[in-house]
Amino acid sequence: MKRIESRHWIFIGLFLLIAAVMLLGVELNINPSSETQKMYDYIENLPPGSTLMISFDHEASSLPEIRPVALAILRHAFSKGHKLVGLALFAEGTVIGYRLMDRVATEYGLEYGRDYAYLGFKPQYIAAILSMGESIQETFPEDYLGRSIDEIPLMNGIYNYDQIGGVISIADGSLTTHWMEYGAARYNVDILAGVTAAMVTTYDPYLASNQMQALVGGLRGAAEYERLTGRRGGGSRGMLAQTTSHLYVLLLILLGNIAFIRSRRKGNN
Amino acid sequence: MDRRLALIACFVFGLLMFAQYFSRHPLARSVNLAILEYWQIIFAFTLLVGVASFFRNSLSAMRNRGERPYRMVGLAGLIAMPVLAIIWGIRADTPFMWMFENVQAPMQSTVFALLAFFVASASYRGFRARSLQAAILLGAAAIILLSRSQLGGAFSDVVTPVADWIRNYPSMSARRAILIGIGLGSLTTSLRVILGIERTWLGGKQ
Amino acid sequence: MDISTIVAGLLTMAILSFLYRDNPVYKMAESLLIGVSIGYTLVIVWTTTIVDLMILPLFAEGKLGLIIPLILGLLMFSRFHPKTASLSKLPIAVMIGSGAGVAIPVMLEARTLKQISATVNPLVSASGTPDIAALVVLIGVLCTLSYFYFSREHTGLFGQTAKFGTWFLMLFFGTTFGYTVMSRMSTLIGRMEFLLSDFLHLVD
Repeated sequence: MKRIESRHWIFIGLFLLIAAVMLLGVELNINPSSETQKMYDYIENLPPGSTLMISFDHEASSLPEIRPVALAILRHAFSKGHKLVGLALFAEGTVIGYRLMDRVATEYGLEYGRDYAYLGFKPQYIAAILSMGESIQETFPEDYLGRSIDEIPLMNGIYNYDQIGGVISIADGSLTTHWMEYGAARYNVDILAGVTAAMVTTYDPYLASNQMQALVGGLRGAAEYERLTGRRGGGSRGMLAQTTSHLYVLLLILLGNIAFIRSRRKGNN
Repeated sequence: MDRRLALIACFVFGLLMFAQYFSRHPLARSVNLAILEYWQIIFAFTLLVGVASFFRNSLSAMRNRGERPYRMVGLAGLIAMPVLAIIWGIRADTPFMWMFENVQAPMQSTVFALLAFFVASASYRGFRARSLQAAILLGAAAIILLSRSQLGGAFSDVVTPVADWIRNYPSMSARRAILIGIGLGSLTTSLRVILGIERTWLGGKQ
Repeated sequence: MDISTIVAGLLTMAILSFLYRDNPVYKMAESLLIGVSIGYTLVIVWTTTIVDLMILPLFAEGKLGLIIPLILGLLMFSRFHPKTASLSKLPIAVMIGSGAGVAIPVMLEARTLKQISATVNPLVSASGTPDIAALVVLIGVLCTLSYFYFSREHTGLFGQTAKFGTWFLMLFFGTTFGYTVMSRMSTLIGRMEFLLSDFLHLVD
């Protein structure tokens, strides 16, 4: 049998630490960041009944991180009485987006077709973004459930981005960039995003240049949003584990560097 | 096929898509929509070619006895999905979506979660302040990690504004420079492609 | 516990077994994942594009113009035979050409000009005090760009500027590393929550 190596101890340490902290079940109070506050304010200040488009532009791999973000934003938007049009530009986001919208809509007793609709998936995202700028009906002749788009009351009077209050891209990669570069630049639609933490710095220049209106980043962003809406969820639950794992990584960096400095001194001697 | 035909097609479609950007005329819009539709359909066919290629490769790899069980499981998964879709459809609450939600999604997100362990291991083994540049990188990472932890009290009051400042100004400016570089690079490459100067996508000799 | 949770839980454990070392259980799960993922994408793309955008409009509604992308799409399969492989260059030309045509104005406007205009801000605030943040951004962008300018040797003042640019790059990489650690830990926390709560029922 293969011997346990040092990396295995690091793995075991991380696993046990997160498990122990989750078993404690303590929730931390999170201070919202300015960019999360912007998303909250944007949705909060839209006139009730505005139509927002929410695009699930992610793969299944990032679901554990992206789900709390999407749920927090959906809950806020639905609670404010906004209408939501959902879609997916990654095949894997298709059923995930539908499930999330359906779940939150059920929580608020909302009706499919009147309060929200789900258009489903369209491949080749650049073409899909541009095509919806010309005609949503031609891009999605049917919704996810197979109904003709003309039979959905919510979609009456919604032809392209001109009738959309803003697009919220829930993404784990650079797809939101295409929303800004093709949707916003060509058709002047506002772009907001809920992304994985790893993508936050990618979008900073767009946020600073106002090409993106707001950004909620990762589990921490979800926790901040939950704090703002006053409804706890996966983000708040995970914050103690998140903090502990950060401290664990910092400790490992510190130990690694101490070992490095010591070995260098030994080498000099 | 004559390479010239491909170059002419590339030029014509490139010019059409470039020109329609500046027009709101109904004809330009319908040309735009038609080409976008072509684009999506051809893209779908490229995916089909990819699937066929995977199938071919898997079948030839099955000659290796050690690989055979894994390849068979892979092909079984690939064949099962269309079969389930044909019989029960692809909407929510069908066996097809059950496979996605309970087989594909949990495994895919767990593969991603494995990276957390490797990041932790790499932090110990490789993240060393060997030079000034490495120390700057390490310092920025440490400040960001501390600021995005909820430690509370006076410590957070000091670290968070510093981390936000690093992220919003120096870090953002480097990312912006990269973006500008990518933008200029993409612009010139696109022009070279349309004008037929850049032909590497055709393969073979220049 | 329902069958869905048991299946998802066991497959999660199978993938996690890789942490010890590469093993047949992991490899089996990995192969299944690859097959199912490709099958999923195949079905979704077939239904939403080939059927909805091409077959139905072409054969049910008689939109004959769609014969063009159908032929172009079929030409992609010519790649499988060396004698016919060159035919696939035509659909690739259409995709690359139209992609490049769309990209030129977008890259110029949305990526380059907007970012440049956001960089060139007044360096002195309305009250007359210097705007340090705007200055840092301007210097950061210029120094980083100079690092990526390879048409001139990085020596003298230009070399110093380029070197200063690497400091900004390191701050960016450090910040990105910090956020990437956050992201990976978040994903792990999500999976651990599933294991401890739904699968093992250790947490409510």
